[in-house]
Amino acid sequence: MLNWIMQLQLLLAALSTFLPLAPSESRERIADVLDAAAKALAAGGAIAGNIDDLAVKLAAVRAEVEAMVAAGRQVTADELDVAMARVRAASANFRAALETAEAAARG
Amino acid sequence: MRNPLRALALACALTLTPACASMQVGETRIENPVAAARTLDQRAYAVLHTYAAIIEEATDIVRDPATPIGFKRALGQAERVATPAAETLQIAVTAYVQARADFEAASGESQPTLERAAIALTIAARRLSEAVLAADAPISELEDLVRARRG
Repeated sequence: MLNWIMQLQLLLAALSTFLPLAPSESRERIADVLDAAAKALAAGGAIAGNIDDLAVKLAAVRAEVEAMVAAGRQVTADELDVAMARVRAASANFRAALETAEAAARG
Repeated sequence: MRNPLRALALACALTLTPACASMQVGETRIENPVAAARTLDQRAYAVLHTYAAIIEEATDIVRDPATPIGFKRALGQAERVATPAAETLQIAVTAYVQARADFEAASGESQPTLERAAIALTIAARRLSEAVLAADAPISELEDLVRARRG
């Protein structure tokens, strides 16, 4: 996703260098269109960054599990406690954020 | 060279456009940690951490003012179903780990003690397997919502 957005941003940069070739009466309008597209892509990039966050976290979990498998190691009770503590903390944060969103929606 | 500015613009465009087409940066690949697990306890561990990462992502979506409130409520509904499934899974995997430790400790004990430990481990393994299966659907539903919003 990020790769795709980066390529589009570069393509826009390339297209904007054509601006001086455009007729002077429509140059400003074309510049506005390119600017709007660049802003949209920047917003898309931020979203792609978030999905990348998830990809990074899942890759870290996978690497940890692969290391366990490679070592033939069993999961310990302490590791399970840490995993569940992470779930509980994430769930509490999520519910608090949802309550804030509900309060904002009400008023 | 009647118009050097136009010539420069054209040169830049011709240089940058092929670069755009050939550039390969930061390819995003979503990993599946559960697929890497080989044993029941590793699978449960991967499911718990994967679920935590998904809720953390869902929290960011809920905090985003641009996300429609209806979508936030759908995430909330999915989380209310998935978190109890994760809690059940944690109870089942903890019981399994304990039963496995008891079985290993009983290896030098009498035959009846060993048999009792083996039966307890078999039951714990079956319950853990059921809990992993039961957690799959609600966690996948939340994950699908998160990816639908982000992807």
